[in-house]
Amino acid sequence: MKTELTISTGAIDEAALAKCREMGKGMGAVICFLGVVREIEGDAPITAIDYEAHEEMAHHQFGLIFDAVEKSWPVESVRLVHRLGVVPVNEPSLWVEVTAPHRAEAFDACQFIINEMKQKVPIWKKPIPA
Amino acid sequence: MKFWSYFRDHTGCAETALELAKGTTLGETHAAVLDEFPKLAGSENSTLKAVGLEYKDDDFVLSDGDEVSFFPPTQGG
Repeated sequence: MKTELTISTGAIDEAALAKCREMGKGMGAVICFLGVVREIEGDAPITAIDYEAHEEMAHHQFGLIFDAVEKSWPVESVRLVHRLGVVPVNEPSLWVEVTAPHRAEAFDACQFIINEMKQKVPIWKKPIPA
Repeated sequence: MKFWSYFRDHTGCAETALELAKGTTLGETHAAVLDEFPKLAGSENSTLKAVGLEYKDDDFVLSDGDEVSFFPPTQGG
């Protein structure tokens, strides 16, 4: 399984990421998930979220998640981008792409990655009040 | 040891060093940290603990030079 992980303060450029997609001829499904900063955090209006990570550990933990994906589904590739620093409302903080032969495994793997990330990858957010 | 996210605000520092007896566990180290930084006590049960890049349980025995991280629940995405 091919994996590509980017954790950086750069804005997520969906178009550029899509342009770089490489798929084998046996692949029938591409799932792209975009996590976007909402204008409300809890009950309070915000202007942005400031993301912080223990980057070295985050890379390691994502690697363990990707290993688990490879063992569980016939996924061809996973690409994931998580943005750090200040991410304004309406802008994406997370982009995940999974390619697989069929949609069921692509959806399942994508959900798994995000669920595991939320529990295990050391990234934290600090809402910036409006 | 290192503190991340709002734990840093509670401790007033990003990292500190503790002299521990040989055979000290991660759980005992956490207790020592709570003694030194009482503001972390409110998060005692939700604190995540890692040694190096791996999560470890409270009964993990630390070795000389281990880097221990304490942090709140993760919130990526």
